[in-house]
Amino acid sequence: MRARWLVGLLAGIVAGSMVLATGAAAQARPDSFDHPEHAKLFPRCETCHVGAVREGASIWPTTASCESCHDGTIEKRVRWTPRTGPVPGNLKFDHLVHRRSAGPASARTGATAPTCASCHQPTGSGWMTTRRAIVGQCLDCHKLPTEHLAVADTACATCHLSLVEARTLPEARIKAFGTPPSHKAPGFMVKGLAGHGALAKGTGPIKVAASCSTCHARDFCISCHVNAPETPLIQALGPDPRSLAIKAELKAPASHRSVDFDRRHGVKTGPKTEKCSTCHTRESCTACHAGVPAPAVLALASAGPGRAEGAQVVRKKPANHTAVFGNQHASAASAAERSCSTCHVRTMCLSCHRPDAGRASGFHPTGFLSRHPSAAYAREASCSDCHDSRQFCASCHVQAGMTSSRLLGTGANYHDGKRVFLFGHGQAARQGLESCVSCHAERDCLTCHSSVGGRRFNPHGPGFDPNRLARKNPQMCSACHGLNIPRR
Amino acid sequence: MILAAAVAAGLGPVPLLAQGYKLKLDARYQSVSFRGIDLDSIPASAVVQQAGQGPTSPDGFAVDCGSGTPGYCYYFRPGTRLRGQPLTTTADLTAWGFGVRGLTIRASGRVATDLASQAVWPGTEPNVVLTEGYAEYATTELTGRVGRQLVTGRLGYQGFDGGRASYRFAGGGLEVGGYGGWGLARAVALPVTSPALNPLDDYQPRSRQLLVGADVAWRHRVFDLRAEYRREVDPDVDYFVSERAAASAEVHLARKLRVAGGAEYDFVNGWWGTAEASATYTDRRWYGTVEARRYRPFFDLWTIWGAFSPVPFRSVRGNAAVEPIRGLWIRGQAERYWFDPDEAETPLVSAEDRGWRAQIGATASVTPQWTLEAGLRSEFGPGASSRTVDGGITWRPSDAAFFSARAGTLDRPLEFRFSDAKVNWVSMSGDVKLTERLRLASDIGWFGEERRRPDAAAFDLNQVRVSTRLVVTLGSAADRLPRAARPVTPGGSR
Repeated sequence: MRARWLVGLLAGIVAGSMVLATGAAAQARPDSFDHPEHAKLFPRCETCHVGAVREGASIWPTTASCESCHDGTIEKRVRWTPRTGPVPGNLKFDHLVHRRSAGPASARTGATAPTCASCHQPTGSGWMTTRRAIVGQCLDCHKLPTEHLAVADTACATCHLSLVEARTLPEARIKAFGTPPSHKAPGFMVKGLAGHGALAKGTGPIKVAASCSTCHARDFCISCHVNAPETPLIQALGPDPRSLAIKAELKAPASHRSVDFDRRHGVKTGPKTEKCSTCHTRESCTACHAGVPAPAVLALASAGPGRAEGAQVVRKKPANHTAVFGNQHASAASAAERSCSTCHVRTMCLSCHRPDAGRASGFHPTGFLSRHPSAAYAREASCSDCHDSRQFCASCHVQAGMTSSRLLGTGANYHDGKRVFLFGHGQAARQGLESCVSCHAERDCLTCHSSVGGRRFNPHGPGFDPNRLARKNPQMCSACHGLNIPRR
Repeated sequence: MILAAAVAAGLGPVPLLAQGYKLKLDARYQSVSFRGIDLDSIPASAVVQQAGQGPTSPDGFAVDCGSGTPGYCYYFRPGTRLRGQPLTTTADLTAWGFGVRGLTIRASGRVATDLASQAVWPGTEPNVVLTEGYAEYATTELTGRVGRQLVTGRLGYQGFDGGRASYRFAGGGLEVGGYGGWGLARAVALPVTSPALNPLDDYQPRSRQLLVGADVAWRHRVFDLRAEYRREVDPDVDYFVSERAAASAEVHLARKLRVAGGAEYDFVNGWWGTAEASATYTDRRWYGTVEARRYRPFFDLWTIWGAFSPVPFRSVRGNAAVEPIRGLWIRGQAERYWFDPDEAETPLVSAEDRGWRAQIGATASVTPQWTLEAGLRSEFGPGASSRTVDGGITWRPSDAAFFSARAGTLDRPLEFRFSDAKVNWVSMSGDVKLTERLRLASDIGWFGEERRRPDAAAFDLNQVRVSTRLVVTLGSAADRLPRAARPVTPGGSR
């Protein structure tokens, strides 16, 4: 069993090495026939490459023509089988057609008629220093004095088929396509109609620029453009899954990286989301906008078959939601409630503003229960925004034996940190009345602070307006004063 | 039982008649055990009086013989361990598509109980509470609601049973609204007449208050403004329970600078209530806020507390955070506050009338999965002070799960009571999104609380807390009421 594994492994390594070696050799040897070796034998290319001059003949030499010398007697035999069928690639070049048309065209311009060497032999080199077509020389003849990948939009179609038409072009070669200089220009990807969108527009009946369709097909565009089904320019391209061999990366535009983009993008887009629809589906919005979607959101297409998933949006806090925002959002949340509701549903607010009895932690950090006296006396945050002082604070203080309902009058002095606290509690009470109320009932205070049955200690302090209070609710006054409510 | 019901509901949803709905069931269970205290007494003749100390019981408990039944002195002694086991299930339902475009039904309710026989946990009575339950009809301009609802704003989250209508003017950011109905108590979904709101057997109004209010909001490219008015009236006597107004604003002065502020005015007392103004600057690698605020408590007029003239305190506070190196955030926060003159003549007792709070902390994202956190906090002021050091580590193996462990220590001196405390704690928590619709969270913590007193009442108040949470989300037509968060790709875009 182990031997079988070893054999298999060895075979795999050998086979893999052969494949790699073959591939490497193919790359290093673009023209396997040693043309210079035969330079003195053949004064003309057409001798072997008959198809260049005769219609219906193959461009490749026949086996018999090689064997006229390589018969094993005159010369050693060689293995040669002419290729049949079309050459894999995306060239729409035909030697015979090119020869027939190039001559008259050159005559019209006064140029020398091109020969085979014009394309297959470096300028100034010796006879039969042949190689695959030299693209730069093609461009020179065609008066395209630029790099191959920088030619004008329409020029690609001179020599190349569109990707969809080039059915024989293997995916590996598509993947190896070079990147045109235009694609590296700033803003090429994200400027929309001012970037690659503008370049993609063809002229006349050709809807898509040949410069795009040579390398790309609809599938490629769909990988980013979620509005591809609604975009005629993209639909004008044929479908071809091979186009996905070229990977596109969807980067966020610079505007999206602005600190206040989260806040302002709604103002910018308004009800029109046409620009957004290039990269974003409805799901991009709903990653953050958790409430009932606005019409602008609904105007976007939903992700689904035939459509890219689009830019994946990370739900994150806006810049102003800092670490202390939870304690300090009252003004902002009150003023801009509608802004809050774009991302937050009511349930989220209620989770703090109507807290759950079974809740272990959340708004307050771990250990806050032990610390809450110092946070509560001079309110670090407004406790009463989320807690009812009677249901929440007092009921718990009852359990902790801190409330007066069981103790006042028993003599168990809770405030034992200050001697005779009872006789000097006014300052503490006016400063932290909410804390007092979390343990004391009204009757505790009325024992002394009442004109009816109490000791008539006046509890009223700064800002007290008896007339105003009596006007608004005299019932409160009568709790201490009975029917004889004093006026000033 | 309730938990089981929640799970059962989650696993076998019954189709609703609406075209679309979203139902979220959130069940939480918590178990807490801590030592209770018992009130005890001894005859005054049994009190031990030692030199330089107050009176104590023979076994060393400080006693108070100043009042109460003559001839007896009172004190607290450690009681039996108490256990609270609150179990709550919150249901949130939104349904729409009843054949009327723009019509939505929303309900949020809670079932709660304390499974422990001692019933020590707050907020578990009554067992069933409806927080919100209303029908809403909304068009582009108009929104109308009828039922139990909350009105939110600068005057607080106010619940009421009634109706609300708001109108948004086309082409602008102006919105006006008004509402009215029978009010609920503050910060709780219960009427003020509920026995659950009266643990001290205090005075309570006989009827629920009538409530009306109005607000106007203006949303602009640069600012948001809102003004509110609300009054509550006791229907039995036709007198005010409250009458207040508030204004709030947020202004974006510059791309990174935001100013927010608000203030409340109490018509009943004729004074300004809580107010604040803040400026926040946010940049990518740092942010900071400075704020001036004034806090004054507010009391309904069916209580007498407002007549005791609670004085406000004013404060200046600020916070800042900076990311000096990628993944490391350092935070700082400080506040200084002063109470207004209280004019209380208390020569026998003096209390602090000002204080401060400060804290610093750091969070380090060591890797995308691991985060370390540490903080130091100190506060000093009237009533109580504290010093806290804590830290934690969080592991997020994926977007669907996190686990964390925290530990800390706290010193808490009190001003008015001999009950300073030293607390140490260790806790661990985990939160796992099991499926798109099922989330499970749990945490466990030990709190060692040592009470420091000069007598025998310095017993410990150690606690163990365990909680478990199960969230089930059901729904259809997710494109209309979508998930709050979708799986995301690091970096923000593909």
